[in-house]
Amino acid sequence: MSETLPPISLTEDERDCYQEITNVAMGQAADRLARLLNVYVILPIPNVNVIEINEFQMTLKAIDDTSSVSAVCQGFIGAGIAGEALLIFNDSSFADIATLLDYQGELDQHGELEVLMDVANVLNGACIQGIGEQLDIDFNQTHPMVLGQHCKISDLINSQEAKWQRTLAIEINYTIEDKNVNCDLLLLFTEDSVRHMNRLISFLLDD
Amino acid sequence: MKRALPDGWDVEVEFATNGQEALDIVRAGNAEVLFLDLTMPVLDGYDTLEIIHKEDLPVMVIVVSGDIQPEARERVKKMGAIDFIKKPVDQSKAQQVLLEYGLITGDA
Repeated sequence: MSETLPPISLTEDERDCYQEITNVAMGQAADRLARLLNVYVILPIPNVNVIEINEFQMTLKAIDDTSSVSAVCQGFIGAGIAGEALLIFNDSSFADIATLLDYQGELDQHGELEVLMDVANVLNGACIQGIGEQLDIDFNQTHPMVLGQHCKISDLINSQEAKWQRTLAIEINYTIEDKNVNCDLLLLFTEDSVRHMNRLISFLLDD
Repeated sequence: MKRALPDGWDVEVEFATNGQEALDIVRAGNAEVLFLDLTMPVLDGYDTLEIIHKEDLPVMVIVVSGDIQPEARERVKKMGAIDFIKKPVDQSKAQQVLLEYGLITGDA
């Protein structure tokens, strides 16, 4: 079906609308994290772009390819819309975030994974539900899955390459004030989902 | 945001896409009330608010933001914003704030 359809794209109004929806959702997610860690989360302007998978790495503004990162992904699906949420953690963030979480165990690979999962549960969940709420969609989420630990962004992407061609990518770079914590939440939507969402937001843009 | 303003409120509405544009409008004396977002390019809401405060510009600032952390609300109030409305903006909340500061009357 999708090969007969033109490739997805966004008008400026549509992009603004996704940015505004993301803005609200990421604020809700940040609020959850701020309350959990007792910190102030600095909110960025979300990047909203339709990209080819080979441009994917370039679109990641916040984390460069020389950094060592760890990442989890989590699928979400509901009402004809499906996507993946990727939480990419700069490995240098773990020491501070573990302290903030009052993590008692040893911060080895397993410990870092636990910390990563805790943060992913808060940020991914709140953000996905926040977007769903505004579009009146009840998203189901899959369990988070580890994509990699202590690797480069390019390694993460390569292992995923087969699944994605062109995608709507929403990038949110969260940092915590006065702490060395930097993570990137990426929401990727399939092409068919974007066509469907564009119809949904056209109602928001209309009135 | 414009949709959340009271129907029949007899005002001119100007739009700015960032804090710098907003300051230009305020400095030109064209604004009595400013609905200010926090996350913006060029000049964000916090910096805009700080400049308004420093220069003592004659405008009432109501912050409108998706940043619902309690800290954000406290900070902007300390910086001189008269109120904070969270996004997505609820029309009755916007009316209530405007009413509270006498910017509209009950029968508007």
